[in-house]
Amino acid sequence: MKSRQPFILFGLLPALLLVLIFTYYPFLKGGIMAFQEYKLFDLRNVHFVGLQNFRDAFKDPKFLTALQNSAYWVFFSLVFQFLIGLTLALLMNKKFRGRGIYQGLVFYSWALSGFLIGMIWKWMFNSQIGVINDLLLKTGIIETRIGFLSDPKWAMISVIIANVWYGIAFFAIMLLAALQSVPSELYEAAEMDGASEARKLISVTLPYILPTIITTTLLRVIWIFNDPTIIYGMTNGGPAGSTHILSSLMLDKIIYAGDYGAASAIGVVMIVLLLLYTLFYLSVTKSEKMGDF
Amino acid sequence: MWEKKKRKVWPTVVASTMLMGLLAACGSNTDTAKSDAKGNSDQAGAGASSGKVVTVHMIESLTSPKRTDILKAMISQFEKENPNIKVDLISPPFDQADNKIRTMLAAKQELDVLEVRDLNIAEYVNNGYIDPLDTYTGTWKDFSTVTAVAKSIATNNNKLYFIPNGLYQRQLFYRKDWFEEKGLKPPVSYQELYETGKKLTDSAKNRYGFSFRGGMGSAGITDQMVLAYNGDQVNLEDAQFLKSGNTIYSSPEAKEAIELYMKIYKEASPSDAVNWGFQEQVQAFTSGVTGMLLQDPDVIQTIQEKMKPEQWATAPMPTGPNGKALIQAGGAGWGIASQSKNKEAAFKLIAFLSNPEQNTEFGKKYGLVPIHTTAANDEYFKTGPYKTLLDMSNKPDVFMNYKPPFQYPGTGQWNQASMESGQAYLLGKFTVVDVLKKWDAYWMDQKSKKK
Repeated sequence: MKSRQPFILFGLLPALLLVLIFTYYPFLKGGIMAFQEYKLFDLRNVHFVGLQNFRDAFKDPKFLTALQNSAYWVFFSLVFQFLIGLTLALLMNKKFRGRGIYQGLVFYSWALSGFLIGMIWKWMFNSQIGVINDLLLKTGIIETRIGFLSDPKWAMISVIIANVWYGIAFFAIMLLAALQSVPSELYEAAEMDGASEARKLISVTLPYILPTIITTTLLRVIWIFNDPTIIYGMTNGGPAGSTHILSSLMLDKIIYAGDYGAASAIGVVMIVLLLLYTLFYLSVTKSEKMGDF
Repeated sequence: MWEKKKRKVWPTVVASTMLMGLLAACGSNTDTAKSDAKGNSDQAGAGASSGKVVTVHMIESLTSPKRTDILKAMISQFEKENPNIKVDLISPPFDQADNKIRTMLAAKQELDVLEVRDLNIAEYVNNGYIDPLDTYTGTWKDFSTVTAVAKSIATNNNKLYFIPNGLYQRQLFYRKDWFEEKGLKPPVSYQELYETGKKLTDSAKNRYGFSFRGGMGSAGITDQMVLAYNGDQVNLEDAQFLKSGNTIYSSPEAKEAIELYMKIYKEASPSDAVNWGFQEQVQAFTSGVTGMLLQDPDVIQTIQEKMKPEQWATAPMPTGPNGKALIQAGGAGWGIASQSKNKEAAFKLIAFLSNPEQNTEFGKKYGLVPIHTTAANDEYFKTGPYKTLLDMSNKPDVFMNYKPPFQYPGTGQWNQASMESGQAYLLGKFTVVDVLKKWDAYWMDQKSKKK
């Protein structure tokens, strides 16, 4: 057994190298750049500036708006994605004709690129030629066109709607897989005890799939928080910066300003926030789980 | 079940990705090795006359499938005429092209000819990525007919760094049929554009006067208006500033311009347009929502495809209250990478692509104003939408050419900064004084940072 150890280590080496080169080196480099003046326009003048990039960020009202928006973006996207995803999973867990087709249709959105979805929703929300305004007008729900993406009151809601649509499929897939693993004996036993449908859901189904719910929501929060593609495609943070979240603002700093220092500083703030969130979430869910099992 | 599948699938995916990565790495290594050998052997073999084939690596930035085809045709003609030079054209998708070029330059990859844009010339020069072309142009026979405007956009610190492949110049596109229906004439000034736009606007019919652009690229409209209103006071060589040294946003004329800008938005444009960029702006015009559009000649082909000839026409750019308009020509073109090992062959290719015949054809096929004075004799540019552009260049006292501020580090971010404060103004969060103060401060800051 012992003689195989060098070989195992040797076999793992390529993977270790790749992880170091493609994960930890960029991570480290990004961390260093956050403390540098690093502008694409003038790469010959890269130097350390201490905490300047962070000070600039926290003084920038755009950054503060993005911080607040990130909270809305994550919270509302997650809640609606989860609730609608769970409902769909419960519906699809019953046997009915054409279930396969329905499943395919529900999962479809998850196969599209976020940027593309952003572009599609942008045109649908367009106030002059968009289909949403057209439908609302024709059904008589509104009388004047709404500038969904041009009115700051609506813009954040609009991008969240698109994001909810995008992410429902993820929860539907994951939760359906979990639901299908619930042993039918549990339901039979519950029925013998005379449990109602609601009671079965609360006392059997949900506790059983709780680990999946915890893992998926934990992952999903991180993904939603990090994913700027829909916002980038739909509003690019506008109008007047009112729909920026941290990750889209970070992209913005790179693409339009070529300012890698400022962008990296935002990246570091995001990592710190996510670390805090993960620690908090794990400690909370752990104690709950212990109570349940 | 799904979990199990997942476990099986992931190692396969990871393994195949790694394999692909390795293969790709090998592939590019051998590639570089080959071309290295070629480049070196060429230098050792005392020039091209020895019959050795040189490969020129060329990359384009403003890529579109159609344009790449045109370029490829031009290149194959060049290769026919120069059997000892082979051209390897790299055409990354438009959105990633500039980043790809930057990466290739920073990593010192094999690259000879690259497409430099007016907006990144300063960045490339600052980083020492590209060579000045003045030593080559001295012996180039067609250089004498290159227009002054074309030279000026390719110049940084009095040195020429690329040969433009054509120029973009903005003009007014309008709905001829709507104008005739209402007995209107195309507007000459921004004030008239506002009045005409108001007459065309009928929100009940979802019809508006002006294809407003408040989103990405909005500075194109605000800056044009502020410049036109400042007119003669503007320092044409440093056009974010007046001759007095203050910014163009500091004058009372700028305030008038930006107040009119708000009126155009409120009374002659769809409210949604606060977020519109290029796509929406053009789409609104071609789909019959708006009646006037300020755009570059590269939209001509889209308009020709989507609209009937009797529906649209063009007119010169609107002027300010004293009858002046400041116009900027934009463009991109071919430059030589400092790391190139085949600079002679590279310039040979550039000279071929930029000769009057090739360049005029390229302009016709792709919708650009050619860079040679001789193109004005071509029938094609004497009619239709190009005529307005030539008319404008024939009246240099009305349509004064200025140099965009590409030498400042903040130019790249200006679009974004100007758009955001501009939107805040349009949405009523900023007053006209607030927004002009912000813009003024931005450029004073740029001026102080410039070396």
